[in-house]
Amino acid sequence: MKYALRRLLHGVVLLVGISMASFVFADLAPGDYFSALEQDGRVSRELIGGLRSEAGLDRPLPVRYAAWLASVVRGNFGYSLAYRTAAGPLIRERIGGTLLLTGTATICAWLLAIPLGIYHARRRGSWQDHALKLAAAILLATPELLLAIVLLVLAVQTGWLPAGGMHSTGWESLSAVERFRDTLRHLVLPVAVLLLGMLPVLQRHVRAAIAETLDAPFVLAARAQGIPQRRLLFRHVLPAAINPLISLFGFSLGSLLSASLLVEVLVGWPGLGPLFLDAVIARDFAIVLGVVLISAATLIVGNLVADLLLYRADPRIRIR
Amino acid sequence: MTRRVRIAAGVLFALHAVVLLAGFFAPYDYDEQHRDYPYAPPTRVRMFDPQGRFHLRPFVYGSVQKLPSGEYREDHSRIYPVRFFPDGRLFGVADPGVLFLCGTDGFGRDVFSRVLYGGRISILSGLLATLIALTLGTIAGTLAGFYGGWMDRVLMRTGELFLALPWLYLLLGIRAMLPLHIQPGQAFALVVVVIGTMGWVRPARLIRGMTLTARESAYVLAARGFGASSVYVIRRHILPMTWSVILTQATILIPQFIRAEVTLSFLGLGIAEPMPSWGNMLAEARQYFAIVSHSWMLAPGFALIPLLLGYLVLADSLLAAGASDANQDS
Amino acid sequence: MEPTSTLVSIAFAHNELNYSEQAMGGTCSGVPHIVAAIGLVAALPFSAAEQDDRLHCATPPGISGGRLVSVSRFEPRTLNWVVASDMGSREVLQFLMADLIHINRDTQKPEPALARSWTVSADGRHWVLDLRRGLQFSDGHPFDADDVLFTFQVIFDERSHSPQRDLLTLEGKPIAVRKLGQYRVAFDLPVARAVADRLFDRVYILPRHKLEAACKAGRIAAAWSLSTPPSEIAGLGPFRLKSYTAGQQTTLERNPHYWKIDAAGRVLPYLDEVTFVVGGSEDNQVLRFQNGESDVINRVSAKDYAVLEAGQSRRGYELRDLGASMEVAVLVFNLSDLPASTSPELRLHQSFLRHKSLRQAISAAIDRAAIVRLVYRGRATALAGPVPPGNHEWLNTRLPSPVRSLDRARQLLTADGFQFRNGQLFDRAGKPVEFSILVSNSTPERQQVATMIQDDLKPLGIRVNLVPMDFPSIGERLTRTRQFEAAMAGFATPDADPNPDLAIYLSSGGNHLWNPSQKSPASPWEAEIDDLMRRQQVELKYGERKRLFDRVQEIMAQNLPMIPLVSPNILVGAKRNLGNFRPSLLEPHTLWNLDQLYWRSPGAGGR
Repeated sequence: MKYALRRLLHGVVLLVGISMASFVFADLAPGDYFSALEQDGRVSRELIGGLRSEAGLDRPLPVRYAAWLASVVRGNFGYSLAYRTAAGPLIRERIGGTLLLTGTATICAWLLAIPLGIYHARRRGSWQDHALKLAAAILLATPELLLAIVLLVLAVQTGWLPAGGMHSTGWESLSAVERFRDTLRHLVLPVAVLLLGMLPVLQRHVRAAIAETLDAPFVLAARAQGIPQRRLLFRHVLPAAINPLISLFGFSLGSLLSASLLVEVLVGWPGLGPLFLDAVIARDFAIVLGVVLISAATLIVGNLVADLLLYRADPRIRIR
Repeated sequence: MTRRVRIAAGVLFALHAVVLLAGFFAPYDYDEQHRDYPYAPPTRVRMFDPQGRFHLRPFVYGSVQKLPSGEYREDHSRIYPVRFFPDGRLFGVADPGVLFLCGTDGFGRDVFSRVLYGGRISILSGLLATLIALTLGTIAGTLAGFYGGWMDRVLMRTGELFLALPWLYLLLGIRAMLPLHIQPGQAFALVVVVIGTMGWVRPARLIRGMTLTARESAYVLAARGFGASSVYVIRRHILPMTWSVILTQATILIPQFIRAEVTLSFLGLGIAEPMPSWGNMLAEARQYFAIVSHSWMLAPGFALIPLLLGYLVLADSLLAAGASDANQDS
Repeated sequence: MEPTSTLVSIAFAHNELNYSEQAMGGTCSGVPHIVAAIGLVAALPFSAAEQDDRLHCATPPGISGGRLVSVSRFEPRTLNWVVASDMGSREVLQFLMADLIHINRDTQKPEPALARSWTVSADGRHWVLDLRRGLQFSDGHPFDADDVLFTFQVIFDERSHSPQRDLLTLEGKPIAVRKLGQYRVAFDLPVARAVADRLFDRVYILPRHKLEAACKAGRIAAAWSLSTPPSEIAGLGPFRLKSYTAGQQTTLERNPHYWKIDAAGRVLPYLDEVTFVVGGSEDNQVLRFQNGESDVINRVSAKDYAVLEAGQSRRGYELRDLGASMEVAVLVFNLSDLPASTSPELRLHQSFLRHKSLRQAISAAIDRAAIVRLVYRGRATALAGPVPPGNHEWLNTRLPSPVRSLDRARQLLTADGFQFRNGQLFDRAGKPVEFSILVSNSTPERQQVATMIQDDLKPLGIRVNLVPMDFPSIGERLTRTRQFEAAMAGFATPDADPNPDLAIYLSSGGNHLWNPSQKSPASPWEAEIDDLMRRQQVELKYGERKRLFDRVQEIMAQNLPMIPLVSPNILVGAKRNLGNFRPSLLEPHTLWNLDQLYWRSPGAGGR
């Protein structure tokens, strides 16, 4: 318990550090949110100056940082210049969409990776092993964004899947079952892209971990004792191999909010991705910082969960 | 070395060599625009002429664009034999014939030549970023693992910070800040240095782990026993033990950074025109109209995938070798 | 109160106000003056007078019902028109609200909207607008002059920081508004302005009953954000807000109190609902249109047009190439005095570009025909001057058309002391001539044009460095720090008239990109342009204004502070079933007559 609290405290310090660094980064780039408005020559300098002072952009960096920090404590996460409202609610609105996507993809990836990895590990050296390895390697080597657009084009040409978004128009008028099915249809494409990106990595690690454990002496001993294959796998091998997988799982958890940003933009999925990227381009700093912070927080929590699980699961580890 | 590893190493070597010697292997310059042949499909190289006779020397037909549809057809009345070793290049055809092995892009620039020249940028950025990340990572990891204590904690916490930073924002800022007369190559090199610098954390963690183990090994204890300085111990004993990890990490990081170059180009932070890189070529090719009507522009992807595959196979074998070494040790 | 005789004579002196002739051509026209007068004088029952005050559209009547889906690249960021400056918000807002005088996108002439008639004083400075009576906002609340006054009060309120304020400020002084009666408003312009009625286009009227409290509390800028419940939002447009789902779509439903009726007496709009879906990227827009998920597509690029064209008949939509647009792409140079902190390289490169001969040589070397052919697949026009060819009324057709000539370029350069050696160009002092062009990351077509320019200048021995940058950074360099040598820029005049572009041509203008906000003109030709523009601004006769503006275009074409390149065509598409689809060269190209669009086969469209 004390360990968990100490890690959480570390996490908070880390988040503060990230926010400070991000503030400094933002100042590096010339221009700000209103630079785009300035290019419309019909708008006067005085007006833009007035907008800048109202937004507090002409105050020194530490003052702006302190104001932002105060806003975070209140739960508002700063003021979005584009939407003219607090950034926090905007981010909260869209987290659900991202989690739906990444959550589904992560669950599917893990559900597929474990049996695939086990299957793969048991057939070491056979042609299935090589074929799977090749397939996984090709998937690993393909840039995710390219995969996304190719799949999207296929979807449109064949008409099997919708061309993006989360719901069809008129979703509100559908029944609950139809709504579920509609969302599912829209999920297929982006989840497939994410899955194809996550699966090879996971499967490799599962395979490596299981393969290593299968070589261990205690497995040989257990087999000699006549323990059936299935029980061997699930009661003896898997728990021993779980160590690296838990770390990986922590990392999966931690990247729930950041893994899909670019895919969401390509597919038009209403999550954090389009919001974040638009804000980066437009220099709407509150949103950028809010998303960065939430992603970092998820990363920290994911690592913490993994470490705690590790402590519980693997008796070989003891924290000094 | 197994046969598979030898094949992988051979493929990698061949790809790197061809890319390095792009000036020889490519029939055209990377920025040579053929404005009469925008989005031309790959030229078919033939050995049999319309009468069915076999020609020892391959040849191509003339190519004509039908306007306004923009499609191309072959003009069988004009035959251009493929010449070998014309002025400093491996092969080519005489004007006004054209030999576009992978078609052309929107300005009529030969995609095949651009893939070769572009490989330089992509591979070089991968190598440079890996070099920086590994150097910094080795220093940080060795120091953290060897000295432990507060240095370890500081370095690892700083590492977490680096992992979570919004590097995209930083890169946009840096790019916008640079003076205008900086060459595109220099500007891009700076971007690569930055992402390499951001990437020291993972290798540092791994090397720290190895250093921790190595620190307790018999050799090191003995060396300390007879009064060796820390620097000596690190140089003579710890580093050689971490060498295999470093090598393995290299084969994992290089493809990672090459992919990062592709992503950067998608986001507009790649190298500027007219220099090609696989990233900015793929960024142009991934637009809907390009995939549907001019799919040959995805050629860089077909060069990228074998390259990354080669690195992956190498990485795999090194990991396996490392694991078996570890098993032997224990 | 002006006497009726003065009203009639002044109204017909200004030919733009001769709206009775606009009853032809399927446009919405105001009920002619005389009939309204008779109608009011005769003792008609209140409801009939109210019906007369609605706008009668002469378009062929359509069928009610159905839903329209349009995929846009940007999502709305606010529902407050006064502070909205982004495209996503404005796209939705224009259908929720209405203006006093509206420019018909088909005829490009102003027409009565909420104001049923108006008069102008002889000096053009005093306008009296007669508002329609008996109109209601979308929530049923009556509309009158108080709402107009309130709207202008909000626009000029310091605390709102509205970008609209500067559009209604002439020579630094705001337009004054006075209430003359419950349905009568007077506008006093600080200086005379030609075709001032065009100023009122898209100045939307806000509901006083909904926003007065926020205005009094100084919180008007934060009012009507996206989280506002739809019942709180009221407007006079054809639609009202039904729902907004973050990141996904905005749905509008028919406004039952809309004030336009068709020839058969049915209340517009025909459509039940309009949904704006957020697509995120242009590729997504194209995909969804091809898939049938969206019903219209607004401004596709030439390359996507080619892809969509192939499937036209099979997929039930049609594409239209509307021809030359109101948009120009230019290469602008930095001719201003550089701040002290500027690097020596920048100063050197700027010194090259200050030579008029070099600018003219660059313009002569650019192969505009190839740009049109390669980047725009032939769907663009090469430009000779800064006015786009879509602007028929104001284009100076006597300017020589741009033909690529490397010989002429070389002649110009050698005559001014430049030398060629070893394929490189050197200036008089022996320095190699090179410069950089800033390009925005977000417009691929401009980047392609820049690449072609880079290649075009190679035979002249000029080395061009392309610097891609994100849009706000470019804005910063162009407007504040002035740290650039040349940049790809574009202008899209929302209106055909030269007056909105004053900020570009006047040397004191903020959009005078090569040397903005000058205290006094830096060169004799800029002084001449200043004089010409000022004169055409107050001149009331079109012929004389055209002559003055023609001369401006000549001067621009000779001195080339910005090199005009091409003007892309407007390319749009819609499902075949969509009735009354008459896309226009002015924004919004496809949906400007959304209140008259309908589905030909009932049940088609709308899922």
